[in-house]
Amino acid sequence: MLSLTLSLTPRTRSYCEWVGRLMMLTMLLMAAAPTMAAHPGDLLAIRARHLMTGSGETLEHAVLLLEDGKIVIVGEDLPIERGIPVLELDEDQWVVPGLVNCYTRYGMRASGYSDLRPNMKAVDELSLSRWSSISGMVRFGVTTAGIYPAGRGIPGQATVVCTSPGGSTSELLSELVMRETAYLKAIVGNTSTGKRYLRDGFNEADKWLEKEAKNREKYDKDKEKIEKEKDKDKKKEKLAELGEYKPLPPSAKGQAFLDLRANKISLLASINKSADYLHFLDALGEEEVDWDLRLPLSSECDIYHVKDKIAESGARIIVEPMITLQRATLRQRNLPAELQRAGAKLVLVPRRDSAMDDWFRDVGVMVGAGLDRDVALRAMTLEPADLLGVADQVGSLEAGKEANLIVLSGDPFEANTKIVAVMARGRIAYGEDEL
Amino acid sequence: MQKLQKQILGFGALWSLFLFSFPVQTMAAVVLDDDDKAEESEEEKETWVYLEGGDVYTGTGAFLRGAGILCHDEKIEAIGYDIVVPEEAEVLNIKGYSVYPGLIALSSRGLFGGSGSLEYSVDPFSDNMLLAVASGITVAVQGDEVGRLNRGRIDGIVVGKQSFSTMSYSLSNPGGRKSLRIKFDGAEAYLRELRTWENEVKSNKDLKEPKKSGVDSNTLKVLQGTARAMFRADSQQDLLAIAQLAQRYGFRPVIQGCREGWIVAAELGRAGATAIVQARERRNKSENLVRPGGASIENAAILHRHGVQVAVVPASTGISMGGIVGRDIMHMPVEAAFAVRGGLPEDVAIASMTQVPARLLGLEHRLGTIEVGKDADLIITDGDLLHYKTFVQWSVVGGRMVYDKEAELYLAHIRPRPVEEIAPEEPVVPGERDEEIIETPEEEADPPEETPEDPPAEEPPPADGGGDPPPPAPEDPPVDPPKEGSGKGDGSSAIHR
Repeated sequence: MLSLTLSLTPRTRSYCEWVGRLMMLTMLLMAAAPTMAAHPGDLLAIRARHLMTGSGETLEHAVLLLEDGKIVIVGEDLPIERGIPVLELDEDQWVVPGLVNCYTRYGMRASGYSDLRPNMKAVDELSLSRWSSISGMVRFGVTTAGIYPAGRGIPGQATVVCTSPGGSTSELLSELVMRETAYLKAIVGNTSTGKRYLRDGFNEADKWLEKEAKNREKYDKDKEKIEKEKDKDKKKEKLAELGEYKPLPPSAKGQAFLDLRANKISLLASINKSADYLHFLDALGEEEVDWDLRLPLSSECDIYHVKDKIAESGARIIVEPMITLQRATLRQRNLPAELQRAGAKLVLVPRRDSAMDDWFRDVGVMVGAGLDRDVALRAMTLEPADLLGVADQVGSLEAGKEANLIVLSGDPFEANTKIVAVMARGRIAYGEDEL
Repeated sequence: MQKLQKQILGFGALWSLFLFSFPVQTMAAVVLDDDDKAEESEEEKETWVYLEGGDVYTGTGAFLRGAGILCHDEKIEAIGYDIVVPEEAEVLNIKGYSVYPGLIALSSRGLFGGSGSLEYSVDPFSDNMLLAVASGITVAVQGDEVGRLNRGRIDGIVVGKQSFSTMSYSLSNPGGRKSLRIKFDGAEAYLRELRTWENEVKSNKDLKEPKKSGVDSNTLKVLQGTARAMFRADSQQDLLAIAQLAQRYGFRPVIQGCREGWIVAAELGRAGATAIVQARERRNKSENLVRPGGASIENAAILHRHGVQVAVVPASTGISMGGIVGRDIMHMPVEAAFAVRGGLPEDVAIASMTQVPARLLGLEHRLGTIEVGKDADLIITDGDLLHYKTFVQWSVVGGRMVYDKEAELYLAHIRPRPVEEIAPEEPVVPGERDEEIIETPEEEADPPEETPEDPPAEEPPPADGGGDPPPPAPEDPPVDPPKEGSGKGDGSSAIHR
């Protein structure tokens, strides 16, 4: 056991790096000879002066131990076993979890429809050849992405992917897709169409349930009749003919709403203003489904009218890090911070897919304008991971989760901080030369 | 209480079955429906609002000074004095302010913040809705729906449907006139056949019901009384023709515009017409004609005098911050005030924005006046509603406080409410104050005689005067008493200082 305290001049750093690489090399050699392996698997320790876990903690002098692309342990001043390669980071560098952009179409093409198509899935648009563009997100620190289907109305279901470029061509698409269907996107506003689509969808599900019930009834009756048959052979024959009960194939549109009711997927309602929120609740009626909100912030957004109600509902709300103006005035409002203070679960996404490199800076502005730091980071990592249903795998630097992390040149929310390197599933996916 | 009301209403429905035909019966059915809805919403949460001490203009002829109004959920529960107010009620002291029934905009554009059917499109946080409420409107017609300006909520927004059969009967279109008459003839003939059939079918069951096909449904509705015929007409000839048509077929027309109505007011009155007029309309008469013509500021007054019901509407039915400002839907009371300038009695002018529209919409059982059991749509103003200076200070819509002028961005800065109204003075028991006022001059008058406790005796006056600087006090007494001694009291002197 040893606990290194190094003076962190660039020279020593490169020395350490060199040592680290050497050790890694020896590790690989050792792995080739199983009997001699001191440490099974692909172990790596990272020592960072500052580390934000994403779940609300900021660690000083933190040590992360990774194995096989997973985090084994995170803590402050942990001793590192001799022989484990150590990645020593600069004094002023910070480590944060890989970002989760739960609402993006980065690198995607194709336009969608604008009516009720809940059966469309973003996963169908994906292919390995597309990956070169999708994995472009990695250099902005985004290691997990929720890709939503294009279109308006109810355009379909989103897919969760790991944006890692993939080390070899042999990596399969299925390994990169973390969840085929995460949420059903629905655009609801104070127009008749959005509301109707939602109701139509649930009606579709109801219709199928009704049909299915009738079908089942019919089958049961038939079976009953056969049971009454006295001749045993005939009975057997007929039973064989009838076979096991086969449920009707659900209608494509109804299936998504059945999944919603069964909480297999959640509903993401895209609204623009307070009124839309009320209309969404009205359209939802008595349905008990998991739902979250997407609110594209506009300059005069009036969501503050219902912020308490949103907080009460427990739903997450996806917004851009953006300072808005009070209606008809030039008074500025920090709506994300207001929502969070009211108790709503905040999820932040880049202002645009094309502005993903400004994501940290934009959130930094919000932090400067009163948003809590830990909440801000959580809104870029753990909260969206939770929304996508992958919080058990990604979203924070905790034991057992995937080793997705970003090394930053300084405080994440300072304006001049840059991304130094990004690690996805334990592999350095961007900025290898910088470390 | 609810049940009792229902019974009474149910009884009413039976009654009307006997007395009148169709229309009243359907109306009663509507009433019952509404009650059911009210019961549903009650299950959620009861809301009580109590307006204390306002001058209540009920619209029924009564003007109650310093009365209270208790609203329970959507309805007015009690009006008057010595009302028992439940503890959970939201109490608003409006002493010195006036309460009027909420205004009804007979036609409007964009007050609900969206377009299309209200249920789907309403934006209860929109600026337009705020401005409409700020101008005293509580119920407005958009398209064919009657909606309530329920700020902050999307439920209970639709109050009813307007039922006008829009018709045209203009001299400029003789063919159209003829065809309308033919339609009315057809509908009349059908109704006659229907009535004979209804009588004879009792004795002869094999008789066939007369066929409805080919009968114009619009005119039929008008003759049956389920819809009011709405005309748009301005010239006296057209108005006269409409009056004659209405009397010929026995229905009461609604006439929009009615610019030259003052010339043929007697005929319109006899036809039982309702006129929807603009009081500020200006149009010269045609100089080619010798007879009178053109617009008149007295139009509304003359029509009213001849028994025509008058609804006053402004020139624009939307909210405009641009060109037509001051003549848009935000200025209904100003428009009505111009009718008053032309001779319309003030109570009629107020009715022209409340009761008459309610009646036109078939909702006079719920809207238009302040009465127990009616919908709690109230506006609280800082003066006479018809005065140009008057602002709506608060609004109660559907039994909830939805507007407070001081709390909203748009009008708060214009003549804000006096400070003491916002933060009333500490309540002072009248007796205590009087004693001090009497005592202090005496003590000040002869300080040399009862000196021993001089400093403590000096203390009350500053406390009384609201914490005035004490230093000059010891020097003042010998000089001041003659000025103040005449009994003006310390309170006034405090103000001078």
